[in-house]
Amino acid sequence: MPPTPAAEDELTPRAWLHLQAREIRGWLWLSSVLGVLAGLMTLLQMALLAWVVSRLIDGEAPPGTLTTAFGALAGVIVLRALAQWGQESAGVEASWRVRRRVRAMLLDHLAALGPTGLSDRHPAGLGGQLVEQVEALDGYFARFLPQLRLVMALPLVLLGVVLWLDWLAGVLLLLAAPLIPLFMALVGMGAERLNREQFVAVTRLAGHFLDRVRGLTTLQLFNRAERSVEEVFVAADDYRRRSMRTLRLAFLSSAVLEFFASVAIAMIAIYIGFGLLGYIRFGPADELTLFSGLLILLLAPEFFQPLRTLAQHYHDRAAALGAADGLVTLLNRPVPDGTEREGWPMPGAFDTPGARIRLSEASVAYPGREGVLGPLSLALEPGQCLAVVGPSGAGKSTLLRLLAGFAHAEQGRVEVVPAAPIAWMDQRPWLVQGSLADNLRLAAPEASDEQLGAALSRVGLDGLLATLPEGLATPLGERGLGVSGGQAQRLALGRVFLSEAPLVLLDEPTANLDEASEAQIVASLRDLKARGRTLVVATHHPALIALADRVLSIERGMLGERTARSHDATP
Amino acid sequence: MQRRDETTLNDDFRPWLRQLSHRQRRLWLGALLMVSTVAAAIGLLALSGWFITTTAIAGALLAAGVSASVDIYRPGAGIRFFAIARTVSRYVERLYNHDTVLRLLADLRASLFAVLTRLDGRTLGRLRASEWLNRLTADIDTLDSLYLRLLAPPLVALLAIAGIGGLLGILVPGIGLSVGGLLLLVWAWLVVGQAGLGMAASRRRVATLDRLRSRTIEQIEGLAELSCYRTLSVHRRTLHDIEQRLYDDQRRLGRRQALGSALAGAGVSLAALLALWLGAHAYIEGELSGPSMVLMPLAVLAMNEALAVLPGAFTHLGATRASARRLNDLAASRGNLPETSDATVPAPGALEVALQGVILDYSVPGAGNLAPALEEVSFTLHAGQRVALLGASGAGKSSVAQLIVRLIDPSRGQVRVNDRDVRTLALGALRSRVGYLTQHTELFHDSLAANLRLGRSDATDEALWQALELVDLADWARELPRGLETWVGESGRQLSGGQARRVALARVILADTDLVMLDEPFSGVDEATAERIAARLDPWLAGRTVLYLAHDEAHLPGVTRRLWLRDGRLADGRGH
Repeated sequence: MPPTPAAEDELTPRAWLHLQAREIRGWLWLSSVLGVLAGLMTLLQMALLAWVVSRLIDGEAPPGTLTTAFGALAGVIVLRALAQWGQESAGVEASWRVRRRVRAMLLDHLAALGPTGLSDRHPAGLGGQLVEQVEALDGYFARFLPQLRLVMALPLVLLGVVLWLDWLAGVLLLLAAPLIPLFMALVGMGAERLNREQFVAVTRLAGHFLDRVRGLTTLQLFNRAERSVEEVFVAADDYRRRSMRTLRLAFLSSAVLEFFASVAIAMIAIYIGFGLLGYIRFGPADELTLFSGLLILLLAPEFFQPLRTLAQHYHDRAAALGAADGLVTLLNRPVPDGTEREGWPMPGAFDTPGARIRLSEASVAYPGREGVLGPLSLALEPGQCLAVVGPSGAGKSTLLRLLAGFAHAEQGRVEVVPAAPIAWMDQRPWLVQGSLADNLRLAAPEASDEQLGAALSRVGLDGLLATLPEGLATPLGERGLGVSGGQAQRLALGRVFLSEAPLVLLDEPTANLDEASEAQIVASLRDLKARGRTLVVATHHPALIALADRVLSIERGMLGERTARSHDATP
Repeated sequence: MQRRDETTLNDDFRPWLRQLSHRQRRLWLGALLMVSTVAAAIGLLALSGWFITTTAIAGALLAAGVSASVDIYRPGAGIRFFAIARTVSRYVERLYNHDTVLRLLADLRASLFAVLTRLDGRTLGRLRASEWLNRLTADIDTLDSLYLRLLAPPLVALLAIAGIGGLLGILVPGIGLSVGGLLLLVWAWLVVGQAGLGMAASRRRVATLDRLRSRTIEQIEGLAELSCYRTLSVHRRTLHDIEQRLYDDQRRLGRRQALGSALAGAGVSLAALLALWLGAHAYIEGELSGPSMVLMPLAVLAMNEALAVLPGAFTHLGATRASARRLNDLAASRGNLPETSDATVPAPGALEVALQGVILDYSVPGAGNLAPALEEVSFTLHAGQRVALLGASGAGKSSVAQLIVRLIDPSRGQVRVNDRDVRTLALGALRSRVGYLTQHTELFHDSLAANLRLGRSDATDEALWQALELVDLADWARELPRGLETWVGESGRQLSGGQARRVALARVILADTDLVMLDEPFSGVDEATAERIAARLDPWLAGRTVLYLAHDEAHLPGVTRRLWLRDGRLADGRGH
């Protein structure tokens, strides 16, 4: 089902992330609350520690009370560990739920965009977005957001305790604290922008790699393999330089924090020391005891710890924002309205096994290129076959895309009844990782092995099948690298014969085939036609043209300002 | 995938450790910076606690009217020093170490790509493209954790434990031993125990991510088919199952990592408690001063910083290991096309090629390679001849061409060029003399000019236009708004199949080689265009040795001899 992206149309990456967080706020809160609980346990632990020490030093420690205190300390430590475990686990729960949701949303949107809406995007880049960029959201939801809520609560509690113990020490902490978010915000803004750039670099790097790897044979043949190794190094080194720019700033934010935390601890230690010696004559210093002094010292690092942890997770946020940027851009891509073609509400239309096609003055344009196809008028009845001929690049494939609903008619009307399903074969046979059967069942998931075998014999692959010990379960490589181009094409064509689709759209189905295979396929297609299916075939081959009831010749009209001329001709 | 389960951790990581050792100095310096950061943190807290206690005792004495002297300047300066040192060394350390790691990654990427470029055609065919991408990026990215997460932190933590143990041991030997021992136990759990807990799930996770990626790419590439056949939802379900497996493992790992973090925190706190407990007894018995007793638990508490990173790194050790192992497998498959040390260069001029009793056994255990083998194929292609090797698709024509240009080696028999076994020829020299238009058109995501210049890197624009003229694309290219600089989309998708084919042909023409092999040069090209190109190709081919691979002879200019290949056997038919 196509999503309704209208609600998310104007979204910024930041707003989009907020929207996702809202879906899992229960888990986020649980994580934060457990984090605060762990913090309170730490407070208790430090207080007990300071108390035990002061009792020991002051020399008033009856051994019995100390054992109890040590026991209590151990108990607190265990409780704190439990809370900490719960905090992290709740974050994990929040994160995978978000990622599942986002992946579903993206896949829906990609489906709605369709092949034409994505033709300018590298599939590897898109795949990377769905895998790596969605994974990049993990840290933000699992760690950063719970920590963000924690940062607002826990330091306040600790500050309150320190103020109560010694307000001057509390003021020292207070002075250092507000500067931190300020610095971090300044630093974070820069890091965020750089991080986004880095994501672009990573995506580009992925595309670069897949491209070079796919074309490795070509690189070997032209003796370019060694030079492309250098290219790969340069690309990776460029990535390093980009990363270092991001990191220099990203680390700066935590360094600033580190600096304030360290200096505040040092100042507090010196202040307490001088206070205990009685050197400080003003403020609450003369009321300091070893207990309060030690506790303040122990709490000072804890006061900064949530912020330090947040700073460590800051790159999670930057990574999520960078990823969200790419994801939102993809989600904001408008769904082409061409996918919703006019149906043809004619009750009797579904009774026939074939499709009825009406094109009236339809024309297709791609952005930046004018007059790719048409205007073109055409009528086709069930059981008819139309051959589309013309020089390569004249717009034959565009016509097929228009009929399939992947391209949108700028002008005119397109009516295809029924609009789905369609049996489709591209110029590039599409094969997936998996067995022969897996590849065929892409068209008909319910097909039996017998039906698969029959489809293979329709495309003349039954002989091959017989020689395979594993039969239909024989695995194939991506892009059919284990099979020859002709075999891949015939295999992809096999799907057409598995499908009951009333409309069959084929782009150069016999381009790589020898005469015998071609004859076999023409015979099989003739059979489809006889059964009332409607066929539209872009081809150069006379045998296929001979099969057609009508031949549409598309000549120029792909480039420049000349519009396509077309004429309907009967053989 | 997991056929080599018997390899040990050591086997899996040894090559990478060796690679790391090239940058030894950087690595040691980085670790030193890490140690100094932890030492500063320990020093800051420990010295502060010592100082406060000292002043408290002195303050109490002063208040009681007893004279007491405290050196406040040296401890104060020490505290300030540790505070600054901690900040600076941490920043420098992180920056320096990340730079090191990214340098290592660039080395790694390039060296792995180099390994790939040496693989033969058969191995290349077995590996799948999107899986490769994963090997090159995700696996290497996973391996970046080797130094920064898996090597340096446990080492630094160990040194810190030794330091703490030593510090405490100087004060009271027994305390140093027992606290150090406890910390060592915690360390051992965080490193060994966590690694064991996460091993299976984190290894599986890498494989699942891999599968998710390739399935996703497949779905995007096949969107047209899937939406036409209305089977998108079925494919989506497979994706969904893979995704769910991924999340299950991630939850498992997340919880186990949380366990490790909780144990690290609790372990350090309990060690501090132990230090205080033992210290209190030593203090009561007069073996230890008050300030030193306070120093001990505080120093131990600062260990948190050194141990906190371990659970995250070691719970996911399996992921790093899986990546290392897969890259090892890849590297091990190199050398399928050995070059002899005394490799020679073929003499200039048109080349003569001969296949002598070539047998090509394609059977690969476990892989679905459907291409039939070549059986006892012998023929000679004389210099300047134009031979058409004809046969049905999958008859083995492409294998013959791959043998000649040495993308693969025969299982038995010989391929000879100018009467020398191709295995004794320098690979680069051989390939620079052979132009081969492969059946599968491979264009790169780059400009039209860059794609053409693959044929000859120093070709002038004029030469590019001439080549385009030959394949009848010059008019088309001239009408493009950006001309030769037009970006040729995702494997040339913005071009039609026929146009991409012709660009690939132009590229071979530019290479200007003595032997030209054209595999179905006009597939996807309409008849009229094919005829025009054939007419222009004919004079260009004059004087070169030509091997056409096709299923019929149509449009192939100037064929002087025909050979038929059927099911991997040569059916010699001179004339027709």
